Amino acid sequence: MSVSIEIPDKPGGAPALGGVIQSMGRDRTLLEMAIMTAVFLALWPVIGQHRVTDFMVFCILVLSFDLLYGYMGRLSFGHVLYYGTGGYMFSVFINYATPNPLLGMVVGIVAAMVVAMAVGLIVSRADGAPFSLTNLAFNQIGVFCALSAFAEWTKGDNGLPSTKMQPVWFLDFLQKPVNFWFSLFWLLLVFYFLKRLTRSPYGLLVRSIKEDESRVRFLGYNTFFYKWLTYVISCTLAGLAGVLITLNYTFVSPHAMDPNSNLDIIFASLLGGAGNLYGAIVGGILYQLIKNFLPMWVSDWEAFLGIVLLILVFNFRKGVTGFVVDRLAGRNAASMQPRGGEAR
Amino acid sequence: MLDVKEIDVYYGHAKVLHDVSLSVNQGEMTFVIGRNGAGKTTLLKTICGVRAPGKGSITYDGQEIAGVPAEKVARRGIRMVAQDKRVFGSLTVRGNIELAAYAANESVSKSVDKVVSLYPKLKDLLHLKASSLSGGQREILLIGRALVGEPKLLLIDEPTEGLAVVVIEDIFRILGEMKSRVSAVIVEQNLSIVSRLADRVFIMKEGKIEKTISEKAEIANTRELERYL
Amino acid sequence: MIQTLVQGLTIGGILYFVSVGLSLTFGTMKIVNFAHAAVYCLGIYLFITIMPLVGGMHPLALVIAMAAIVPFAYVVERYVIRRLYGESVDYTIIATYAVLLISTNVIKRVWGVQPQPVADPIGKFLDMGDATISVYRLSIVALAFLVFIGLSLFFSRSVVGKIVVAALDDNEGVRRLGLDVNRYFSIVFMLGSALAVLGGILYAPMTAVQPYMGFTILLLGFAVVIVGGMGNLNGTFFAAIGLGLVMAITGRFWSQAAETMVFIVMGIVLIFKPLETYGTSGK
Repeated sequence: MSVSIEIPDKPGGAPALGGVIQSMGRDRTLLEMAIMTAVFLALWPVIGQHRVTDFMVFCILVLSFDLLYGYMGRLSFGHVLYYGTGGYMFSVFINYATPNPLLGMVVGIVAAMVVAMAVGLIVSRADGAPFSLTNLAFNQIGVFCALSAFAEWTKGDNGLPSTKMQPVWFLDFLQKPVNFWFSLFWLLLVFYFLKRLTRSPYGLLVRSIKEDESRVRFLGYNTFFYKWLTYVISCTLAGLAGVLITLNYTFVSPHAMDPNSNLDIIFASLLGGAGNLYGAIVGGILYQLIKNFLPMWVSDWEAFLGIVLLILVFNFRKGVTGFVVDRLAGRNAASMQPRGGEAR
Repeated sequence: MLDVKEIDVYYGHAKVLHDVSLSVNQGEMTFVIGRNGAGKTTLLKTICGVRAPGKGSITYDGQEIAGVPAEKVARRGIRMVAQDKRVFGSLTVRGNIELAAYAANESVSKSVDKVVSLYPKLKDLLHLKASSLSGGQREILLIGRALVGEPKLLLIDEPTEGLAVVVIEDIFRILGEMKSRVSAVIVEQNLSIVSRLADRVFIMKEGKIEKTISEKAEIANTRELERYL
Repeated sequence: MIQTLVQGLTIGGILYFVSVGLSLTFGTMKIVNFAHAAVYCLGIYLFITIMPLVGGMHPLALVIAMAAIVPFAYVVERYVIRRLYGESVDYTIIATYAVLLISTNVIKRVWGVQPQPVADPIGKFLDMGDATISVYRLSIVALAFLVFIGLSLFFSRSVVGKIVVAALDDNEGVRRLGLDVNRYFSIVFMLGSALAVLGGILYAPMTAVQPYMGFTILLLGFAVVIVGGMGNLNGTFFAAIGLGLVMAITGRFWSQAAETMVFIVMGIVLIFKPLETYGTSGK
């Protein structure tokens, strides 16, 4: 049958990544970044520096997850493993090596990256359900490591404080506002980076893999490599988020890797709209707002979450951003749906 | 008895069949030929209910079956043999037939006898696991399985694809025996079979029916048909 | 030594009961069913409530609880899972997880968060060499074998069983014969749920019954299914026993690592096992 999917002609090696540089274009990114800054600045007096920073770090986490889930279509139930790894390796470094937070940050991120590279080799061979669950299993292993296996270093259940850290240049992370600006900086940078990445031929390739992997393979691409690479990038960014949150709290505990937190991320991603960066940010903020303030009024928090999730899955697949986009596009969105398909 | 009217079929956003129409009369054995990718398999899958058309209608025996799920369509007497020659590998050959008999409310022994009479060599294979059968044996099992319960319309997708010459002759013979008992729409690349058996030939190209040939003389002319592949 | 062996076989048996449903649902409907843990947990709590109502008769309460869970399982299958058929697996994962969240909350509301103790219904012990073995645990092992044989017979002899096996091989083929596979999957789903509840109730005296207990056993169940092969009923049995032994043996030397070792084994298996059988990417 004659179907056309636009995939760039396969060049030699992996220069699809080179396309990232070529895709520098004039767009609204600066404006968007300014808006985001404004939003978070506005929230600061309302909910406090600590919480706003939390929100921003969470947005980074959701962005990283969205690359993997929204763009490449692979649902991981163990994303917080890297979040925790980043945080723990940072803390361990601060406590046992040098109390230099910037070096600690590098260590934390690199650690998350290395783990992702190793685990990625295993999980990238799986898809769908096994992918989700294997990540969850590794998450559990991570929790175990923090809780028991290396308890001597991580102080197990008690968690590991990183108050020892020293100021570096003008950055003293024990001063709260520093955290705000630092996290904001990274959020904007990650946003910019992902925007470039997803707009590039690489991003197109990743989305094509989500649509139909075998076709991409028939074009000559080594899809395994791209799946692995996306996994590594996504998880490294999660590690970055982990370091940032640890800077904010000067503390890390096995709770950071609680598998149930994965659900927070998934929920935020769905709520905002998976597969687009704005959705990740919107979802991240919305979800954190809900999570922080709703329990004051609703006592059966879990059931509420479950019900809303069901509604999202059945009725509002595209999340808030999708809903808004459809509305703005008018009735046209509905009439463009292809009819027919699998007969049930 | 089968009337396909102007159907469009989509895979996601991609339109695979454009305005396809064809009809099959009772007892007719029709063939669909065309290049790979022309949409022949999609056509069969849409008729048997695995896919639903985006627009258009499919009437069978006076009733609308477009969009009706496969299991309901099957119960009205349409059977399909798919291209991949997939059998119920974990069951025995007999087990495969047994399921068909159960589904069609026919007695198992009657079904087994019917299938064996089509192809006596199958008798020795009854107790074997279906996964151990060769490609040709599987195709024969699948055709036999499809004939259980006296279906009125048979849809077969590339029965002789990938098979050895000897087996192809067996299948040719089986199809010949079926010819007047059952109506059929068969996708085939083997033009020798097409010219010897077809009452009508539909030629498909890029998701459309390009031409219909009903003249005996034209059908028998294999060289002519070849032009369309 | 014998103690560890029996422990391993017992855990293996429990894992088997829990995993059968998961394996079948994986194999037939190609979905991950987190709600399995909800069914598991709910069944155990129902059992605890029913027990005093039947004068403490364990087997009777067991059977009633298993029967009572079936309608719940049916509702989950019919109104959550079936509605997401053919769509991305991810949505079923999320939706079934949502069911688990709701059910956990309900359980907390109705029964409270405190662990509920369940007594060993047999309470007798055998002396084997220098080890004392609980008769209860031996009976679990025996029951697991019985169920295994029963299921094997069911799937190889009965028509319903054969239809399910055929659907595991070729779903479309079964539909094209005129059989409504969904109905059979439904039956299988309920059977799997009842077995999971059986496993949970049997396990109850050996563990803490609390609202979150479904979660861990579910993960282990998934590990069993991945190691044994999705939809592979024999594989599920042997994988369950094997992983049960892994847990018991690891537990003997480093008790907190028992579960983690299962996941490590799963990771190793995934490195070597051909993965073409896995995954549902857009098919």
